[in-house]
Amino acid sequence: MDLSEVAERISQKFTSQSVEVDAASIEKKLRTLVDEFGVNLTEAEKTVSENIAKEHGLESVPRQTSEQREIGTLLPGEWATIEGKVVGLSTPVSPMIKQTGVIADATGAIQFTAWARANAPLLEMGESYRIESVVVDEYRGVPKLNFHAGTTITQSEENITFLPQVTNVADLRPGVACLRVKMVQEWEARHERIFQTGLVGDETGTVKFTTWKGDDAPRLEVGMVYNIFYASVGEYQGRPDITLNGATCVPDEDAEMEVGTGGMTYQGAIINIGPGSGVIKRCPVEGCNRVLSRMNYCPVHEMQNDFRYDLRIKGVLDDGEKAHNILMQREVVETVTGVTLEEAVETAENSPMGMDDVFYRLKETIMGRYFTCTGNDLGDTILVKECSPVTFDKDRHAELLNLLGGEANGE
Amino acid sequence: MASEGRFNQQRYEREPARRVFAAEMREATYHFKNGEDEKSPAYVLLPTGERCNRVFIIGSMTQKEKRGEQNIFYNFRVADPTGIFFVTASSYQQEAMQQVSRIEPPAFVAVVGKPNVYEAPDGRIFVSVRAESVTVVEKEMREAWILDAAESTLKRVEHFDQSADAALTQEHYPGTNLDIYRRMAYEALRQIQI
Repeated sequence: MDLSEVAERISQKFTSQSVEVDAASIEKKLRTLVDEFGVNLTEAEKTVSENIAKEHGLESVPRQTSEQREIGTLLPGEWATIEGKVVGLSTPVSPMIKQTGVIADATGAIQFTAWARANAPLLEMGESYRIESVVVDEYRGVPKLNFHAGTTITQSEENITFLPQVTNVADLRPGVACLRVKMVQEWEARHERIFQTGLVGDETGTVKFTTWKGDDAPRLEVGMVYNIFYASVGEYQGRPDITLNGATCVPDEDAEMEVGTGGMTYQGAIINIGPGSGVIKRCPVEGCNRVLSRMNYCPVHEMQNDFRYDLRIKGVLDDGEKAHNILMQREVVETVTGVTLEEAVETAENSPMGMDDVFYRLKETIMGRYFTCTGNDLGDTILVKECSPVTFDKDRHAELLNLLGGEANGE
Repeated sequence: MASEGRFNQQRYEREPARRVFAAEMREATYHFKNGEDEKSPAYVLLPTGERCNRVFIIGSMTQKEKRGEQNIFYNFRVADPTGIFFVTASSYQQEAMQQVSRIEPPAFVAVVGKPNVYEAPDGRIFVSVRAESVTVVEKEMREAWILDAAESTLKRVEHFDQSADAALTQEHYPGTNLDIYRRMAYEALRQIQI
């Protein structure tokens, strides 16, 4: 390691504390200590760092590289020292990279990249290492460790042992995660590089997975439960997806699992019921299902007089901070409004106002009221799976009285 | 990636309907447009520091008045525990007008609408709400709304300085006494009988 690298590292440490120190001036100070006074580099680094901290009124040297950190607590932009076990290795995508993989401790796991020019030793699967002065970087929202020229890697004498932390599908964040999931669906691969793609899920929801060709990754079987260790979690259009290359997938032969529909819960008032709500007619042509116009006209299959009735609500659920478009399908509409499809059709066919009658009836029933809706966000609309009215919350009332009353009465 | 631009494009986002007590709405005097366009959204700035393009109110419709000869419109009042909202529904809001025509006060109503600030020739400033929808609701919903409005008010008071419109609020409502709004929310909550 040379002086300029150490100087750069010190400079970066302070940058993370919003203190800008010129690396060249740090290098000069280091050089004085090392060359003129024969101080070893580690001690010189410490001395210079502490002096800069004092100069800028910082209590301590920020983020000491000697400070050992738990992997689960690392944040992008930090420098740290960690001790962990190599739990996954994957093929580097570029000759610039010597090795990529996943390193874990009891608190979490993180991907690492050893750049070719960093000259780090090759890590071995299943071995534990102490990695000093490593940079936590971020690539497409995923935190990563970068081994650079100043990183010191030593193999730990004792192999550390820990149980991997299992994450629920609903709690997935970009990075690396262990899951216990059931293979739900296999999808047709739309890309020649894809080995397998589909949906896995647990009680809390489902997530898309992809395995790319290349590694000898296993093919998952629909209906089987798997323990998946150290899959990489990415994000696409705001939703997590996982990649199984480099992960270990262990089938659990006898396990059974209920896969949850997942989705988020939204609470708010229904402040709009839009056109297209109420009784609608659907095109009967197989696989079409499009909504017909009032004249029974399908945009693709033209006139269809043998239509199928359906019931739905397109509305807006608003919590005062965000307005969500919601779509409720027949079962949900029936439960929430108490109006069944049969009744609605009867009204639509017999009332002088026809389908409008149903529309206004649904509107009068739920407009301006508070509901809790659970469902999946389809991007610009929430497909509501469950919806129930919100009743007056006495606890919230008491809590707010306390929050507001404490000061109002304290005058 | 060729398709990326499609996802980066900003989607039209519906403005949320703010929960505001009548007493705070009455104090709002500053309104502005976000942009030059005729279609740009117009906002009323709340004294506790939030722009507001739409409101959601639940209260008691106390008075209803039918006005106009050729162009009929309704004026009505909606009372919450802190004061009165002045609401209008004209033929530009066909649906709201038809809904109002069927409601006989007193009744609990849920109103979705857009707030407007008017200046009278004598310089007095009025705030009214142009209704988009008016529905009769149950008493329990009014109480749920009071909780909601109190919670929103508290949030605005607590984030007063960090609000995106903090500077604008300082400029147009200098010396806002946040305690007044805390007390208002507190008194509103106290009126709920349990």
